[in-house]
Amino acid sequence: MMIEPLYINRASPLHRLPAALKLALLVAAGAGLVAVHDARWLGLAAALAALLVWSTGVGAAALWRQLRGLLWVLAAIGVFTVAFQGWQAAPAVLLRIAALVGLALAVTLSTRSSDLIAVCERALRPLQRLGLLDAGKVALALALALRFVPEIWRHYQEIREAQAARGLARHPLALIVPLVVRTLKRAEQVAQAIDARS
Amino acid sequence: MLIEFDQVVVATPHSQALKGVSLTLSQRRIGVVGPNGAGKSTLVKLLNGLVLPTAGRVLVDGLDTRRDPKAVRRRVGFVFQNPENQIVYPIVREDLVFGLKPLGLEAAECARRVGARLDELGVAHLADRASHTLSGGECQLVALASVLVMEPALVVFDEPTTQLDLRNRNRVARAIAALDRPALVVSHDLELLHDFDRVLVVADGCIAADDAPGPALRWYREHCA
Repeated sequence: MMIEPLYINRASPLHRLPAALKLALLVAAGAGLVAVHDARWLGLAAALAALLVWSTGVGAAALWRQLRGLLWVLAAIGVFTVAFQGWQAAPAVLLRIAALVGLALAVTLSTRSSDLIAVCERALRPLQRLGLLDAGKVALALALALRFVPEIWRHYQEIREAQAARGLARHPLALIVPLVVRTLKRAEQVAQAIDARS
Repeated sequence: MLIEFDQVVVATPHSQALKGVSLTLSQRRIGVVGPNGAGKSTLVKLLNGLVLPTAGRVLVDGLDTRRDPKAVRRRVGFVFQNPENQIVYPIVREDLVFGLKPLGLEAAECARRVGARLDELGVAHLADRASHTLSGGECQLVALASVLVMEPALVVFDEPTTQLDLRNRNRVARAIAALDRPALVVSHDLELLHDFDRVLVVADGCIAADDAPGPALRWYREHCA
C-alpha cells in the first residue's frame, strides 16, 4: 500500500537535478509514452525507468512495500487487455504503465515533497493571476493530502482492530462509516489548527 | 501581554459554554483547570479568535479578537490538545516553514529560525522526519516548535501532557517552564501548575475560583473531585 512518504535522503545524480526539471521531464515522458506502441521501445523505457529507480539508492524492501499493491492492478489490467484486445496488445500496455510508474517513482524517491509542492505552486501562479485559483491553497491541499493519507490508513487499521477485538467480522459499511466520521472530525480540528497559525 | 474578558458569553443552540466571564490576565504563567465540559477549551480558544464571543468581547493587548483576528493570532500561539492535528505538512521542517510563510521571510532566515527552535527544544534530530512517524512526546514538542517559530507574545496550551508517558510529560513540562514568554496552560495535570503565578478554576461555564495555585487547586479538589 503506497502510504509511506517516498523520498529517501541520498546524494544521487537524480537527487541533484532541480525538482522543476524532473517534473517537466516526467510530464514529457508521460505524453511521449502514450504515443509509442512498439513493445520493444516501451520495454526499453521500462528498463530505463528501473535503472533510474535503482540509481536513487532505494532499498529492495522499501521498493517492494511501494510496489506490491501495484502488481494486483497490473494483473487486472493485463487480464482485461487480453480479454478485450487480445494477448498481443497486453505487453505494450503493461510495459507502458510499468515505465510510467517507474519514472514517477524515481522522481518522488529523489525529490522532497516540499520541493514538489513548491514547483506545483509556481506552475499554478499564472492561473492565480487569471483569478482562477489560489496557488497557495492548492499547495496546502497537496501537502495535507500527503500528510494525512498515512493517518487515515492508521485510523482504518485502528477501527478494524477495535471491531476484530469485539469479534465482529469485516464489513465494509461498519468500517467506512466510523472512518468517514473520524476523518471529518479530524478535518475540522486540522482546519482550526491552520486558522490558529494564519 | 494584557488579556481582558469583558462579560463574555459563548452560547451554542443547545447550551451556554461560558456564562458572562470577566477577567484581566497579565501574569507570566496562568493555569486553567476544571471538570470535562466545563468550558476550559472554549475559554482559551477565545484568546486567539478560534471561538468568538456570542456576547461581550475579548481584548488581547487592546486588540479585539473579533475585529483583528490576524493581528491577535500573530500575538497568541496555540498548542492544541491533539498535536497531531496541528502538524499539517508531511515533513517536520516543512511544517515549521509553513507557519513562517505569512511573514514573507527570506529562505535563509526561515531555515535559521526553524533550526534554532528545534534545537532549543532538543528535537533538532527530527527535522527531516515524516510527521506521521513521530511519537506522542515528539509530536507535542514539534507542535510547540511550530508555534514558537512564529514568535508569539503568548503561548496557549490545551492539555499539553494528557496523552504523554511520564518521560515525555516531564520533557514538555520542562519546555513550558523554560519558555521565555508568557504561557497559559489548560491542564488536568495539577502538578504542572504548582509553581504558576495564577490558576483559574472553570466550572459550569463560570470562573469558580481564581487564586494562587495553592488555594485554587485546593478549591478544585474539594469542590470538583
